[in-house]
Amino acid sequence: MKSYFDKTHTWGRIWTVAALIIFLLVPVAFSIHLNAWPKAEYFLKGLASVAIIFYPTAFIEVVSYAPLLGAAGTYMSFVTGNIANLKLPCTMSALETSGYSVSSEEGEVISTIAVAVSAMVTTIIIALGVLLMSVTGVIQKITSPSSPLYPAFQQILPCLFGAIGAVYFYKYWKITLAPLAVILALLAFNGGMQVGILIPVSVIVALVATHLMYKKGVFGKEEPAGETHE
Amino acid sequence: MRYPALFGGTLMDFKSSPFMYAVGSAIVVFVLAQSTFFLVRAVKRGKELGISGEKMKNAAVQSALFSIAPAISIVATVVVLSGALGVVLPWIRLTVIGAIQYETSSAQSALNAMGNSAGLASAVTDPTQFTTVAWVMTVGSIMPLIILPFVLKKLQKGIGKAMNKNKLWADLMSAAAFIGIIIAFVGRAILGTGDKELDIIGDGAGVLSITGLLGSVGFMLLFTLLVKKKPKLQKFESFAMPLSMFLGMGLVLLVNHFLPAQYLIEWRY
Repeated sequence: MKSYFDKTHTWGRIWTVAALIIFLLVPVAFSIHLNAWPKAEYFLKGLASVAIIFYPTAFIEVVSYAPLLGAAGTYMSFVTGNIANLKLPCTMSALETSGYSVSSEEGEVISTIAVAVSAMVTTIIIALGVLLMSVTGVIQKITSPSSPLYPAFQQILPCLFGAIGAVYFYKYWKITLAPLAVILALLAFNGGMQVGILIPVSVIVALVATHLMYKKGVFGKEEPAGETHE
Repeated sequence: MRYPALFGGTLMDFKSSPFMYAVGSAIVVFVLAQSTFFLVRAVKRGKELGISGEKMKNAAVQSALFSIAPAISIVATVVVLSGALGVVLPWIRLTVIGAIQYETSSAQSALNAMGNSAGLASAVTDPTQFTTVAWVMTVGSIMPLIILPFVLKKLQKGIGKAMNKNKLWADLMSAAAFIGIIIAFVGRAILGTGDKELDIIGDGAGVLSITGLLGSVGFMLLFTLLVKKKPKLQKFESFAMPLSMFLGMGLVLLVNHFLPAQYLIEWRY
């Protein structure tokens, strides 16, 4: 009999292929409805300049995020997007609170719940936002630069990652040092570097430094505190 | 092609016609169906594995709370892009696969390819330009969906094997990978510059980004300490992280309001 993991991959593949077809049908539907098809020359020119960055990034993202999101979580996350700023923080905080590791079957269940709920809440909020926008314009008011709440929205990412990172920095401060030093050095040199470039660098530095410290016995032979607080 | 007013008494153009809204709604239904399918499956499996209902509920509540603020900021992105592209296309693009940096650069690149130098700064009025943008945004973002069915199972089996060999090493490596991701954002809050072209105040590292970062770190550590000291509070543990984020945002507003403007320094603008 197929295991839960195997079945998850089967269903994940079916939903991913379905998503691919449905997403491609969107521009097809627009083109038929408006009777306006793009010229191949312009389409390819426009695509080339983004594909040269996005397509290799897609490989890096799949390899970097898949180990942290679980199987179903990964399939869902790549369909709905906004992974680094939404799906990943939700998964990591849910796993942290539950005490399960993502590689266990219990962790797979918890990460699936976290990603599914996040995707649903986000989709509903965006849809409601679009409705409010069309009807009242209230969203434009809340998020416009003249809104009193605007400075808070500008700082969402530091607040989000501060809240999630706090426990990790505290527990694993030794792991934090190397990537922080490298990323700050890079940004001091070029402050315009975006997270898309910084993430792979930071992850690789963290993994290599941690592996080296592990080999040197920096973490001892015991399990790190907090990973088994079920 | 013009359509009569649907909402708010404004005339809608082809980019926001009822047909476009119907396509957007269909995408929403698809995403909700997929999420519900996996959610129901996971809860069933969780019960079989003996995971307590409370744990599963906590994961759901925490995740929902965490998603609210970033989701509102995604709506803000729809607002930004809607000036040029109407509401529906940005809505669809940010509901699926989307992320602000991808969507804006795809749209901009498509418009530039057609010789539209204003790009997203002005409304797209030509249907062909609009569909070209839709095609580039869609095809530009689908690569992960092509890769996943082929590689994910093998990738996770490989990772699973490595993880099972040595638990301490595996736990450290997964913590390291996640810390690596967090540090990229933390680094930008400390030393990242804002958008030079748009010249927006407050989008570079400065007093406000550091307030948000340190504020939310401080609140979270405080809550962790409180839960440790008073085990009774453990049932509220899942609220600690989202609450720290909101309190961090609140602190930013307070500092922005009360600190004299000359001290609201943005050292990387």
